[in-house]
Amino acid sequence: MYAVAKVDTEKCTGCKLCILTCPDPNVFTFYKEVKKVAVNENRCKGCGLCAAACPKEALAVVSV
Amino acid sequence: MSTKIITPVREFADLLPQEYQDLVARGPYFEPKGIEDLGTFKEIIEEHPHCAGCGVSLGIRLVAASLPSPADTVIIGTPGCSFFGLTQTAVNYSNTAFGNQNAVASGLKRMLRIRYPDQHKDVVVLVGDGGIADIGLDLTLHSWFRREKVTTIMVDNEVYGNTGGQESGMSKQGQVLNMAPVGKQFPKIPVFEMAKVSGCAYAVRVTVASPRKVGRAVRNAILVAREIGPTYIQIYTPCPTNLKFPPNRTLEVAREAEKDYYAYEEFITEEAANYLARL
Ligand SMILES: Cc1ncc(C[n+]2csc(CCOP(=O)(O)OP(=O)(O)O)c2C)c(N)n1
Ligand code: SF4
Ligand SMILES: [Mg+2]
Repeated sequence: MYAVAKVDTEKCTGCKLCILTCPDPNVFTFYKEVKKVAVNENRCKGCGLCAAACPKEALAVVSV
Repeated sequence: MSTKIITPVREFADLLPQEYQDLVARGPYFEPKGIEDLGTFKEIIEEHPHCAGCGVSLGIRLVAASLPSPADTVIIGTPGCSFFGLTQTAVNYSNTAFGNQNAVASGLKRMLRIRYPDQHKDVVVLVGDGGIADIGLDLTLHSWFRREKVTTIMVDNEVYGNTGGQESGMSKQGQVLNMAPVGKQFPKIPVFEMAKVSGCAYAVRVTVASPRKVGRAVRNAILVAREIGPTYIQIYTPCPTNLKFPPNRTLEVAREAEKDYYAYEEFITEEAANYLARL
């Protein structure tokens, strides 16, 4: 079973805290125009550090 | 390095792997990038086998994103968890026999000075706590005594992570590990204190819970090593696998340490401070 982080784009305010906590490269993309982040699920290892750091509870680790 | 070197001829461009094309199109080589830009450019670290939630891999990712001139940087590694990430990094890289990193870095830096007298070539050692504090301590200290203009960065997970959990000189006293069943019998080796009295012009102790401080320290350390002298950064990079905490707690563990024995500290000589102020 694999686990990955999913973003709730309604809740994400684009603070980018998650991007600075992710141990793996090129997982998060920041979209400046809409001020949201996106997760590349193929690269995510599901550690949950981003979800622990997100002040808006916009990230959750789910099994896929 | 000329960026021409990595730019493929147009006819072959679409034959290259997507990761390579991304590096050429959105890599950090063409305009300065830093920690604040993460998420908007293609990072030079590539997919690696580090455990989920690994503090070491976060440490090397933050360091890689903070290099002032990645195209003119040579990273020197040595066996340890860190080198699994580094060998796949789109930057000049040399591995060394375990512990020899600062000797190899000294030679490379001197050679690059001769070969490129008019350019800065940054030589950055990026290795584990065992690599520096145990097997490589003599070569590290001697490179500082000789004032070699190299930046040394320790990703300190307080254990030999790569070989399954032996104690390192940087493990905490009393720490029980897979292969230290009665707990470590002596305190952490004071490498940071040694850096201050052994010739380093700039030294920072920091944790991965403060990414912006890591970014600033890496930048300053590399700039100071260009002109003034050796520099040292010690980053606390907790290892969930061997210290047996859940992978989503790595930053919490680092933050707790920051409030305790791993408080942020910066050491800088007057000469280095004046130099940074002039830039
Ligand atoms: C000369 C030599 N002795 C022993 C080893 C085995 N070895 C590989 S990595 C390692 C420990 C690395 O510990 P550390 O530097 O703390 O890095 P970490 O894996 O914790 O990131 C050891 C003992 C080796 N590769 N070479
Ligand atoms: S053993 Fe520890 S340091 Fe090594 S990759 Fe796993 S979490 Fe990282
Ligand atoms: Mg270690």
